[in-house]
Formats: sequence, structure tokens, C-alpha cells
Amino acid sequence: MNLYEGMFLLDNNVVREDWNKAKGIPVGVLEKHGASIKTSRRWAERSLAYTIQKSNRGTYLLVHFEADPDSIQIMRRDLELNETVMRYLILRAEEVPEGEQELHEAELSTDFSVPEPPEDHVVDSDAGEETGDLDIDGVSYDGEYSSNPAPKEADTAEETKEETPAEAVTESTEEKTEAPASEEA
Amino acid sequence: MKRPINKSTRGCDDPRLDYKDLETLAKYLSPQGEIHARRRTGYCAKCQRQLKQAIKRARHMGLLAFVGQ
Repeated sequence: MNLYEGMFLLDNNVVREDWNKAKGIPVGVLEKHGASIKTSRRWAERSLAYTIQKSNRGTYLLVHFEADPDSIQIMRRDLELNETVMRYLILRAEEVPEGEQELHEAELSTDFSVPEPPEDHVVDSDAGEETGDLDIDGVSYDGEYSSNPAPKEADTAEETKEETPAEAVTESTEEKTEAPASEEA
Repeated sequence: MKRPINKSTRGCDDPRLDYKDLETLAKYLSPQGEIHARRRTGYCAKCQRQLKQAIKRARHMGLLAFVGQ
């Protein structure tokens, strides 16, 4: 039996339903193949550096467990097939790091509540239709316009200022050109 | 010339790089997400390999970008 550290990137759609259920999926796979879980906790919920399985956000689960080296390969195969586990990383660990046990226990206590993960802004157009385009559009436009309105207004204001004298000049020149023409006639 | 981040750390004594320690790893990445060369990090070959391994693990988990920011 060796000690391992496993990190699992979980789909936020499943996490939003129930954290303990989402957590149970990779932990269940480990236990199925004879692993004994030492600690397991929510490491972070963060936006991903790049899109994974059409998701831009995900929740990370950090697990320390003891398992037979031969069983790791079978676990990997099961995790590959699992759609909730978007990415996983299993490494050998020397020992359970300090403070990990306390964080694990803190999560088990009844006071612990998982913060609701924010909505995933899906880039993919097909998925966008399912979740409702209006919301996504609204959010994205808010972001765009909130940063731009000041310079835009300033530009238009300047333009109108510039236009009015320019128009006046052209009108006056037209009058001038017309005037001599009438004199000639 | 690209100077080492800190020349005094040459002879890096066991930096214990972890793929979860993103703040440390980010120090050894260019704005485009490239790993700095040894002449820039000032790491010995062994520590540079650990750095490479840690960054690649973080990239696999979606914690760091492969390219761009």
C-alpha cells in the first residue's frame, strides 16, 4: 500500500446540484478499487486557464489516499470514462501535508457549506442555446459596454462639435459660390 | 540580455515546487506562458526539471495556460 495524492477537476454542473454527490463520484471510484481515503476536501473553485469539455470553470477536489500500486491503473481507466471528472492527477505522496487533516475535518462538520459556484459562461454556441442566449448576451454586453461608454460618448461629443463648425463652413462657402454665380447671371 | 531573476539564488537549495503553488510557478513563466530558461531562473538542472514537471502538471489540470494569458 502506498500513499497517493489525487486531484480531480469536477464538472460544475454536478457540483451545483450537490457537492457531496459530486465528491462521492471520484471517491467512490477510488474506494471501489480498494483505496482507503485519508483526507478529501474541496481545494478550490476557479476559472480554468483554457476550456475543458466546453466548461470555463470547475471545482477541484484534493484527496489523499492509500492504495495498492496495481489498482491505480484500473482507477485511471474508470476515471477516464467518467464524465463528471474532467481531469485528474494521481501522484505518489510522502505524507499527508500538515493542516490537510484539519481542513478535511472542517469540511465534514455540519457548519460547512459549499459556496455556490458562479454560472459558467459557455463559449460554445450550441451549449449557449440550451442555457439561454439572452442571459449570456446580457452579461457579455454589460461587460463590453461598462468599459467603453465613457470614451465612446467623449468621441461622439467631439465629433458633433467638429461637425457643426465644419457644416457651417461648407454652408457659408456654398453661399459664397452661389452668390458670385448669381451676380454673373 | 535576459538576466536571472535573482542571481543570488543560483545554487537553488531544494525549492520544493508543487503544481498547486501557482504564485511561485507564475514567477517562472513569460507573459505568453513559456517556461523561463535556466539562465533566467538560475536553477540547477535538477531543480529546473522539477519546475518543468510542476508547470506541466498545472497545465494539465487547467490551472495554467499552455499558451497566452
